[in-house]
Amino acid sequence: MGPLLAVALLVLGTLLIGLRGVAAMRTSSDFLVASRRVSPLLNSAAVSGEYLSAASFLGVAGLVVKDGMGALWYPVGFTAGYIAMLILVAAPMRRSGALTPPDFAEARLASPALRRLCAVVVLVIGALYAVPQFRTAGLVLSAVSAYPYWVGVLVAGAVVSVTLVLGGMRAATYVQAFQFCLKLLLFIVPAVWLVVQAGPEVRHDAVNPVAFTHFTRETPVSFQVDVTLRVAEPVRVETPGGGAALLPGEHRIDAGRTLVFPEGARVPEVRGDEPLNGAEWRRPLLDLEDSGHPLLGTWGVLLATALGTMGLPHILMRFHTSPDGRAARRTAAVTVVLLGVFYLFPGVYGALGRVLVPELYLSHATDTVVVALPAQVDTGWPGSLFTALLTMGAFAAFLATSLGLLLVMSGAIAHDLLPGGLRRLRITVVLVAAGTVLLALPATSVDAGVLVTWGFTVAASTFCPLLVLGIWWPRLTAAGALTGVVTGLLTTSGAIVAALFGPPLSGLTGLLVTQPAPWTVPLAFTAMVAISLRGRPAPWSRAAMLRLHLDEARLRPPPSQNRPR
Amino acid sequence: MSPQSRLAHARGRPRGRWRMPPLDPADADRADRLYRAQLARAVPALVLIVALLLGLPAVFALWPHLDDLRLLGVPVSWLMLAALPYPAMALLARWQLRRAERVEER
Repeated sequence: MGPLLAVALLVLGTLLIGLRGVAAMRTSSDFLVASRRVSPLLNSAAVSGEYLSAASFLGVAGLVVKDGMGALWYPVGFTAGYIAMLILVAAPMRRSGALTPPDFAEARLASPALRRLCAVVVLVIGALYAVPQFRTAGLVLSAVSAYPYWVGVLVAGAVVSVTLVLGGMRAATYVQAFQFCLKLLLFIVPAVWLVVQAGPEVRHDAVNPVAFTHFTRETPVSFQVDVTLRVAEPVRVETPGGGAALLPGEHRIDAGRTLVFPEGARVPEVRGDEPLNGAEWRRPLLDLEDSGHPLLGTWGVLLATALGTMGLPHILMRFHTSPDGRAARRTAAVTVVLLGVFYLFPGVYGALGRVLVPELYLSHATDTVVVALPAQVDTGWPGSLFTALLTMGAFAAFLATSLGLLLVMSGAIAHDLLPGGLRRLRITVVLVAAGTVLLALPATSVDAGVLVTWGFTVAASTFCPLLVLGIWWPRLTAAGALTGVVTGLLTTSGAIVAALFGPPLSGLTGLLVTQPAPWTVPLAFTAMVAISLRGRPAPWSRAAMLRLHLDEARLRPPPSQNRPR
Repeated sequence: MSPQSRLAHARGRPRGRWRMPPLDPADADRADRLYRAQLARAVPALVLIVALLLGLPAVFALWPHLDDLRLLGVPVSWLMLAALPYPAMALLARWQLRRAERVEER
């Protein structure tokens, strides 16, 4: 009951702060720019609050358990993205006055077709990013309570859409900044407690991981998704309905079942997954799909995450709440520091989880490792308390990110694709939430980290070249930008569809299909430059680009609107 | 209302074809100077971050025995991956922020 209470408290607190934020602000007719006086520190807390999603709070530690220490490259890329943002995008983007990439595309290149195309890209990125958030909410709720997966997903969808429809995003800054502090606290304190409480033996095992071949104690494994296990030696497992023998061969285990493996039994293999071994797990490189190219795999993930961050629509929107370009740049710089503090800790959870709960990988539930750990270390009330606190943090992570994502997706539909007002925006929010729930229900077996990385890959192959060339290259034309964005969108979504539904691939081909950034990003850049060079930029093109670099102290309002109001 | 917000509003609905308003010649000169100066400062910072992101994995690939070296019981390669990049990136962010702001103070 504790974790559910914690989640309820969190939702209530979020709503209260949200309502307070609405009351504290003047009754501005448009809330999109209402909070443009946000200071860099508060705004970077809000940016980090929105950015630290369920994938960061739970997913990275889960990937460490499953894939090894190399998974810690994900947070490095997530943070490096803000360096790229600081160097290339933050200040000029704010100075364009554009709220989202579709807005920026129209402001810089005056092409309504490009605007609509960008809105579609926003929807693709938003779906890839929001589905894993909902999925993790469902998994976590079913891990800490008796409810099945779909209940958690439905509750998540309901909470997010109700919060958004009632509170709107006027108070988003306060809510997200509050949630960042909460997440930081709820992540660091339990980590320190776990390390101290775990004892010298577990700490020694954590830095000397061995292959997971035999159960070291009687181990219950709850399956939330259907899994096929490959058993090598006959083993007698306990189930709630009595004991059963698993003979050598393949066994399909349906979702909802719990099997208790006896101490000393040999660990079965999971069909489609690599077993958890010792030596390879310790390597600090990402051997995706076991392609045998760990260096290329690591570089691909870094490329996708670092460049993708620049193009994430819900993050770009947050930068607009800074008062000017200078403050936006400072926000990006402070965000690097705040994220750096948070990302020191997923490795701690991952290393401890690998020793204490390696069986999570059997049920495809490594994403829940963070909330599963306290109960392993302490069975008394401190363990329950920390489980409740971590569940609360995970929900804060999920909530802050989903709010931003749902808003930006609804905005793309109701603002960029259709003419709409506030009423239509509210209806769209509910529809988008329903759509995301429907997509999340069958997505149980896909890793949060993998889906989110695909979202980053699409952003890196579409909006990243659009923003970088739009800001720094005066010769960019609308036709070039259109071609580049279409190229990036088609190649990355083609690769994703092939990876999800195509035949299993291995080796270099498999790697380049599951992690297409190393070829799609250069391709999109090349397409954009080549088509732009063939055409001729509009006569005002250079002025449009230069305006983005002019500091506010000197920027005069356009002549037609120079009259004082 | 800030000039940017006014721009955003001018471009808002009802949507027609929108054009970036022309730049005043004096502003255009300053913008051109700023653009060149910021570009000159962006390139070295980009080189540094790319060197970190491509270089550190390459170091791990070239010297696998970093996994066996231990500091306080923890493999050195784990420490280099989990703790080293963040302070390095924070310093880089600070350095680049200062340089970018100094350009605009002139």
